[in-house]
Amino acid sequence: MTHLRLEGLTRRFAGTPHPAVDGVSLELPRGALLALLGPSGCGKTTTLRMIAGLEVPDTGRVVVADRDVTALPPHRRNMGVVFQSYALFPHMTAAANVAFGLEMRGIPRAERQARVAEALDLVGLRDYAARKPSKLSGGQQQRVALARALAIRPDLLLLDEPLSALDAKLREGVRDEIRALQQRVGATTVFVTHDQTEALAMADLVAVMNEGRVEQLGTPEEVFERPATRFVATFVGRAARLPGKVEAPGVVHCGAVAVKAAATPAPGASVELFIRPHHIRPLAEGHSADNALDAQVLRRTFTGDVVALECATPAGTLTAELHGGTPGASAAVGSRLRLGFAAQDVRVFPA
Amino acid sequence: MSAALLLLPAVLILAAGFLYPVALLGRISLNRTSDIGAMEPDLTLATFEKVVGDDFTWELAWNTATLAAGSALAATALALPVVLLIRAAPPRWRGLLSLMAIAPLLVSGTARIVGWLAILGDQGLINAMLEGLGLTSEPVRLINNWTGVRIGLTESLMPYACLVLIAGLGRLDPRLEEAAATLGATRTKTFLRVTLPLAAPALLAAFLLTFVLGVSAFITPRLMGGGRVFVVATEIFDLALETVDWPAAAALAMLLLGALAVALVLRTALMRSARA
Repeated sequence: MTHLRLEGLTRRFAGTPHPAVDGVSLELPRGALLALLGPSGCGKTTTLRMIAGLEVPDTGRVVVADRDVTALPPHRRNMGVVFQSYALFPHMTAAANVAFGLEMRGIPRAERQARVAEALDLVGLRDYAARKPSKLSGGQQQRVALARALAIRPDLLLLDEPLSALDAKLREGVRDEIRALQQRVGATTVFVTHDQTEALAMADLVAVMNEGRVEQLGTPEEVFERPATRFVATFVGRAARLPGKVEAPGVVHCGAVAVKAAATPAPGASVELFIRPHHIRPLAEGHSADNALDAQVLRRTFTGDVVALECATPAGTLTAELHGGTPGASAAVGSRLRLGFAAQDVRVFPA
Repeated sequence: MSAALLLLPAVLILAAGFLYPVALLGRISLNRTSDIGAMEPDLTLATFEKVVGDDFTWELAWNTATLAAGSALAATALALPVVLLIRAAPPRWRGLLSLMAIAPLLVSGTARIVGWLAILGDQGLINAMLEGLGLTSEPVRLINNWTGVRIGLTESLMPYACLVLIAGLGRLDPRLEEAAATLGATRTKTFLRVTLPLAAPALLAAFLLTFVLGVSAFITPRLMGGGRVFVVATEIFDLALETVDWPAAAALAMLLLGALAVALVLRTALMRSARA
């Protein structure tokens, strides 16, 4: 069941040539976590702020549970927002921060205290209730912000880059915690991030944004494995990019060879091929693939669990990523091998 | 050593322009005024005894303190909405609006008072409006009395209050107010529960600065009081130049300086406890 629906949201800031958000439409089922993923300036935070009511769209609608909230001010939307800087009230204790939203709702003191304790328990900070934000670590502040947003039992939970202020070691743990918490309380959540790993690891749905538009909306697997546009293919994950020209449907002339691809534009079009490193395999003797290329290892990079082989092929330079111990992973620089990949793993976009 | 050397010019200017005159003033305050009004060198606290023992001195002190406190409070209270407006304005307007708020400092105090005469005088703008609207038949006395001085002093202190509040509220993260709104707080609640408590140190600083400036204000009480308003600063002037009782003027000046020094110490202590 659709819980959040955005319809053609557009916002242009005075003095800028392009809209910050340009006709964003999407639907999110109840209880799902949507990641708005994109580079800085792609409009993801502005989109989040329009959902929260902190920014008014020029056109378009925000619909929550079939109710149009576009004209409602933020204080009447019942949305729990976790800001990038957490925005905890510095003059209040952790407990008072969490209680603030409940107080604004006129919830009686006894129930308020119970719900504050419950929210702080949820994030494991019961013992820190009496501390001011300045006496809490970054990770603890982040969890208080989360508790404060959840305590009001929001219709939507909105997170603006909640991990970016944490140091790298903490990030992964907090990421999994937020996801577990979100699933436990079943909050429909929108999460803004520029980090694709975060988006892929946490989200049920990923909206990849660029220049104010949603380039692709899909599950993490769809976005990663079947990028809809050239931008998505470039931004999410790594890929070898080879220039080519469509010869016939399903065949692209690339370098000195013809490469088979699942879907291609009309013959004659100049295109760019995207092939993900983990789709490229060394071929054992007697094995075959849709595309099989003679290759020579130019560089071998060992990163622990993965070995990257950068190879010269007739189609151009390709990188294969192999798990340690798989055949071919021990190939030395200069050695020759055959690389294979499936036609369906070759993404073709107009150049 | 080199850092101390950098302070040298400031120390020299302070010594020549402040410490030396104050020392001179201190010396004069210990002199004696003879019966015929001439100053005689001496080392006596007699003048201080005379000044402190005079009820008029305490009336002046009370006048000065209430005038300064009232004007400082009004200036701070009026500066707050101005600064909140500047803060809410689009970033590219903020510089210009800030400049406008403190622009009165660029005009000489005397020129501003002449402006006030044209507005507040018996035939001034306000009385013309009131009479034109038929609200009054006689001019309302808005100048050459305490009302005039309060209005003028408030206006002359406002730019300083704005300056302090712009600096103080500039550090206040607007996300905090947004967070309050997303948690269900109306604009009023957000202001009372978040903005105001966080602005309190800046408001206190603005009040204390304008209070101190108000206590030592001379031009406004002199020119807008029309000779009917007596405060410590005008009295010092009168004692020195009208009565030519230098020891008394110096003693009163030393007492005012002492009071301001106490206020400064209190302010520092207050700020420290507020931060803790």
